[in-house]
Amino acid sequence: MYDSFLIRSDSLENFEENGKVAGFKFSVRIANYRGCFLGLHNGYYCEVDGVSYPREAQRLAVNGKPPRSFEELMKHAVLEHWDMQDEAFLYVYKEGGLEKGTHRVGILESILGAYGSSPRDEEYVKNPPDPSLGIGTGKTSVVCYYDLELQG
Amino acid sequence: MGIKRGVSLYSYQQEEWFGRMTWREELKEVATNLDGATGIEIISEATIPHFPFPGEEFYQEWNFEMARWGLEAVTMDVFPDPLMFRRDHVMNEREQAERLKMELRIAKKMGFKNLRVLGSEIKTVALALPLAEELDIRINQEIHFPSGIRRGKGQFGGKTMDILEYIEKTGTKHYGFHPDFGIFKKGPSPMYIEYYFRTAGEEHWKEKSADFIEHFNASTNEEELTKWVMDTYPNVFNDPMILEMEFKKASAQAEDLKLIAPYIYCCHGKFYQMTEIPGKPGEYEEVSLDYENPIRVLKEIGYEGYIDSEYEGQRNQQDRGLEFMADEIEEVRRHHKMMKRLIGE
Repeated sequence: MYDSFLIRSDSLENFEENGKVAGFKFSVRIANYRGCFLGLHNGYYCEVDGVSYPREAQRLAVNGKPPRSFEELMKHAVLEHWDMQDEAFLYVYKEGGLEKGTHRVGILESILGAYGSSPRDEEYVKNPPDPSLGIGTGKTSVVCYYDLELQG
Repeated sequence: MGIKRGVSLYSYQQEEWFGRMTWREELKEVATNLDGATGIEIISEATIPHFPFPGEEFYQEWNFEMARWGLEAVTMDVFPDPLMFRRDHVMNEREQAERLKMELRIAKKMGFKNLRVLGSEIKTVALALPLAEELDIRINQEIHFPSGIRRGKGQFGGKTMDILEYIEKTGTKHYGFHPDFGIFKKGPSPMYIEYYFRTAGEEHWKEKSADFIEHFNASTNEEELTKWVMDTYPNVFNDPMILEMEFKKASAQAEDLKLIAPYIYCCHGKFYQMTEIPGKPGEYEEVSLDYENPIRVLKEIGYEGYIDSEYEGQRNQQDRGLEFMADEIEEVRRHHKMMKRLIGE
């Protein structure tokens, strides 16, 4: 769903921490029709110029709050909802950030919301599936790619 | 009285996602442009801002707008999300029932008479039933493709029949059914098939899709058809789930509705694409689904509840630019023209 619209084309920027460029960020929209409780958000498969960045390097800034790790969302955002209409920002840690120019960014979300119980629920609690496995992809089951010009 | 027409705001999901419509505009659209539609269905977390804590002002505004347009709050659709507490455990039955109860209390504040559940087990619903009775809201199991109504080989209605037995054994008036018209499949939706060909990178996807549908409709042997498709278009139908969904014929027959007749409290008028009937300008049909027979049967059994439009064709037209996307407003308007004709208003 919304495959060409999950990232806003003018949203890719580097970000700083303690006066140094610590990584890059871009906007993200949810690929479903109902939003989700943020505790169910299991991170993204995120690839930039052919290099993938694991969930541990990612933070999500949503609902006007500072960027939070997916571990923190899982633990403390159980009843905090990401509404379908709202844009969030995915922060990705990469020392020095990205260089000027155009970058090919691919993402696939992993959100563990469900219509009902699944035999794998217990397993997913013990070991949250890696977002690259394509579990919890909502209504977009393929990695969506965007050619984005670094802003700023 | 008779069958009433409503709309699930799910039908306008794309308009909402792109920020072009809010629930307020959608209520106005239903009330003013669908020639007598009066029902509203929502997905709780999709429509309610900051769900489940929208604030009292939202409830006041909702009830005001519904009254303003003379609309009836028919059904609220809910999801159990059994992994909500995945930080340390999978939701147990009691917690799932508590989530249902939370939704029931919200539904009451918004005036809804029905809750739609899909994956909830009978034992979970049973724990929430006392509150449903107290609030006088029915909890209805959606019968969604590929589920069916009858039990038995090739019928897919095991859960439906288990719930029917529970209802009849307990005599509850607050547990029932919400059939989705997607179960009355006639054939593949051309729009869907075109999407599969297009996203597989096939050239001449329109022609190939037409060829596929011609073969599908002419075929009487499912195995032969599957073999033909796999041999002819191996790159397009290589996902077992697509095969399973597209090659299965109807999962229920219209007459099956009679089995659960007293307990049908709402229906989803699922549809994928409304097209003009050849030779009949201004009249529309959904070529992939049987609407005539289920509506005839609903009339025969004296059904006086709602059929709520549930448009779902937008997601398979989002692989290209904005200019190729579906017009949800027009699709729902056409759907209501068809329902009005078939209901015989």
